Amino acid sequence: MDENTTTVILIVTFAMLLAALVMAFIRLMRGPTVNDRIAAMDLIAIIVMAFILVYSILINNSIYFDIPIIISLISFIGTVAVSTYLKHRYD
Amino acid sequence: MIEIIIYTLILAGTFFILLAAIGLIRFNDLYSRLHAGTKAPSFGIFLLVLGVSIYFNSPVVYIKGLFIVLFVYLTSPLSAHAIIKSYQDVTKKNKFPDEA
Repeated sequence: MDENTTTVILIVTFAMLLAALVMAFIRLMRGPTVNDRIAAMDLIAIIVMAFILVYSILINNSIYFDIPIIISLISFIGTVAVSTYLKHRYD
Repeated sequence: MIEIIIYTLILAGTFFILLAAIGLIRFNDLYSRLHAGTKAPSFGIFLLVLGVSIYFNSPVVYIKGLFIVLFVYLTSPLSAHAIIKSYQDVTKKNKFPDEA
């Protein structure tokens, strides 16, 4: 494939990821319960990981591969911390 | 030929993540939203990491991609379980209103 086709494919991928990020952010804003907001936050972390992976292809540099590992660990710790705080809030 | 495989994998992974976001915003129950929002993204990130690893094609990148997929597949069901467990515990005690 030539250069133009791959660039168009990567831009379409960025557009889909941006639409997903906007939808998850709307759920984060108006979720009825706090648990909806935590689920949206979890999805936003995964969307950011996907952004970084696609961007590493766009600039052709594999050093960005370390960042999604750290993001996955930190998002799990945050989710479990907020859930445990909500569970033990009224004990 | 290998580029067609790479970009098909990337587009498929992004499509699964987009489906998860659509499900997160369209469903009308917390259980349905978690079903859409925590299972589909792990498969999408698996396809995406596979495509990017084949694109770079070096052993270090394959090992890092294996770590990413391993962590996501381990932690995504655990976080869904923690979210739903806190929801059930709090609503069972009835001290926490539904519209918080």
